[in-house]
Amino acid sequence: MTGNAMPKIEVLRVSKHFGAASSAPVLSGVDLACAENEFVCLLGRSGCGKTTLLNIIAGLVPPSSGEVRVDGERVTGPGRGKGMVFQQNALFPWLSARSNVEFGARRSGLEKQAARRIAEELLELVGLREYGERYPGQLSGGMQQRVAIARALALDPQILLMDEPFGALDEITRLDMQAELLRVWSSRRKTVVFVTHSIMEALMLGDRVAVMGGGGIASIHDVAKDRPRSRSDPAVIRLHDEIWQGLH
Amino acid sequence: MRDDLSRHAAVLQGAGFILALLVAWEITSALGWLRPHSFPPPSRIAQGAWELAVRGFPEGVRVWTHALATLRRIFSGFVLAMVLAIPSGILIGASQTLDRLTHPVITFARSVATLSLLPLVIVWFGTGELSKTLLIAYGCFWVMLSNVIAGVKYVDPTLIRAARTMDTPGSEIFTRIVLPAALPRIFAGARTALGVGFMVIVGAEMIGTIEGLGALIMEARTFYRTDVTIVGMMLLGVMGVVFAIGMEALERRLLPWHRGLSEVRR
Amino acid sequence: MNPRAADALLGLGGILIVLAGWELVARSGVVSQSVFPPPIHAMVIGLRKVPLPDLGGHVWISLQRIAFGFSAGALLGVVIAVAGGWYRVFGNLVRPVVEMLRPIPPLAWIPMAIVWFGLGEPSKVFVIFLGAFFPVLTNTWKGMSNIDATLLRAGQTMGLSGPELLIKVAIPATLPDIATGLRIGWGLAFGVLVAAELIAAESGLGYMIMHARQLGEVEVIILGILVIGAANLVTDWLLARVLANWLGKWQDTTRAE
Repeated sequence: MTGNAMPKIEVLRVSKHFGAASSAPVLSGVDLACAENEFVCLLGRSGCGKTTLLNIIAGLVPPSSGEVRVDGERVTGPGRGKGMVFQQNALFPWLSARSNVEFGARRSGLEKQAARRIAEELLELVGLREYGERYPGQLSGGMQQRVAIARALALDPQILLMDEPFGALDEITRLDMQAELLRVWSSRRKTVVFVTHSIMEALMLGDRVAVMGGGGIASIHDVAKDRPRSRSDPAVIRLHDEIWQGLH
Repeated sequence: MRDDLSRHAAVLQGAGFILALLVAWEITSALGWLRPHSFPPPSRIAQGAWELAVRGFPEGVRVWTHALATLRRIFSGFVLAMVLAIPSGILIGASQTLDRLTHPVITFARSVATLSLLPLVIVWFGTGELSKTLLIAYGCFWVMLSNVIAGVKYVDPTLIRAARTMDTPGSEIFTRIVLPAALPRIFAGARTALGVGFMVIVGAEMIGTIEGLGALIMEARTFYRTDVTIVGMMLLGVMGVVFAIGMEALERRLLPWHRGLSEVRR
Repeated sequence: MNPRAADALLGLGGILIVLAGWELVARSGVVSQSVFPPPIHAMVIGLRKVPLPDLGGHVWISLQRIAFGFSAGALLGVVIAVAGGWYRVFGNLVRPVVEMLRPIPPLAWIPMAIVWFGLGEPSKVFVIFLGAFFPVLTNTWKGMSNIDATLLRAGQTMGLSGPELLIKVAIPATLPDIATGLRIGWGLAFGVLVAAELIAAESGLGYMIMHARQLGEVEVIILGILVIGAANLVTDWLLARVLANWLGKWQDTTRAE
């Protein structure tokens, strides 16, 4: 999957410490490159800095040193073609599902009519055409995350950043959502950086899995398997064990 | 089904108990065990209510006049407080410096019991309508102000982040994210403030007026008409409940999403 | 500079700005200083007219009334709410009565308080009692009806039942709500104090300022208002500390990873 062309996202020697400069860094000298349309999973324990790294790529948090480049240009802030899906409760509760998606479409510069059309289209894509008028509070957790994905896609971003988007869902819904995401992704190719703490989720979704630990990327694993993948595939199980062992 | 049944049982038990209390009250009064002046029996109170509605107390000042006077005062003080508190609260909540600058002053002003201002307001503005309005406005204002500030200040940061990842400019983040997110808290403040208004009005009407329910209940006592006093108390209670329900209905109407939120997440 | 020190400094600045503004307006001569005295001046004159020992006496009396009324209201409120929340039939009977009386503002009871208890101390304490009683009762009741069913089941699986389950599981689980009720009740007790002391009192802060109005001593009124505010602030802070201590560490949300 990794081409020879210039990487879509480059993380260059990024370090981050919160509070006093003397405190232990959350990230130190992280390097990572993602190719165009590649699906990269950041995997690690709670507190390993994976969300911080994602926020730095998003431009929501500035790095203490180092930089992130998208298409060779330095990231200085959020927006501009980087859609983001959060763990939960990031939909605007006072807007209906459709208005939430429309909000994203309007932000990408579309006129009202076009934005509405795009919103309908995307809700259809995530299987929620009939739920457009509902408020987020009236939707289940899984439905909320579908709307959140639709909203991020409405920006028509080249990059989709996902911060444990299915982390708060029950296991069964979670599996459904993984399949759903792959389906959506196959119809709208994007470069995806997906943060998760589930090894199996990373192996089901990612082209590559970057395992984080000790303030940086401990190892990177290629998952050279066509999707949809099987959880019982011997290669997947082998990778699972390899990553699990590596985390200790 | 089971729940429905036990709810019906609860309502029946409660209503029955209240009815039993009223009957016992009436009977013990008739037997002369309860002094009618201290505990006017329900029949007496009903008579008082009738008299208040038809003839008025004092004669000619009927119950509607009292209730309207009270409502007018609460309303004008409440509206004045809203008009002042909402913009200043938004301003303070949006600026960290202003918030820190004003925090102790607001905390102290909230601690000052509104009714302790009664004598001062009388000295400054006399015993007329203005004093009562200002007193209610003071009580409502600080409650409202703290709530507006908190509403603006404690907006869920994830919402702001989400808006930023969608390239939303700062001014729009404020008008389209922070303000709507603050609305439930602002509404809660308004509801509390209205409660404060109902509390303060009674004290404010005890001085310098014969109109208003607060004045009515005090006047009636001095004329040994405790039945009328109790009617006045009941009216104050009913008005308070009606307004609280009205505010809730308004909130459901204006913020339908918020209602849905708390109901579904539970 | 650490943020707490910055907060304190800015806050102090805010207070000074308010005082300076007050001083300026008062000295500008737009309004007579006898009606709108500058702050320091008001304090000095106020304390000359009501010397510190007298002022202390008023504070002491008022605090006593609040303490009595509040304790009685809080105690009865907790007892009724716990019993009502635990014993269903009692709850069904009492709840509607409470809901009927609760919306009546505490001050509206003043005339009946006079009829029932006369013009002495009991009627003042009664009004303050009402101020504390309802918020404590409703908050406790809410806590009792929102106890996590899992906790009760856990208690039952460990052999607790009846009053033991109530005392060892239900009441401790309700403590945070009781604490909330106590603080609201304390605030309301202060809120009704002045009106309660309008009832033929000869002492107390409410009496002091109402009496000063008759004499036209604005300075004493202002002094009184500030003292009532300060007393409320200080005692509320103390109550919050006591409650935090009492609830102990289990409410601490910082958890070890």
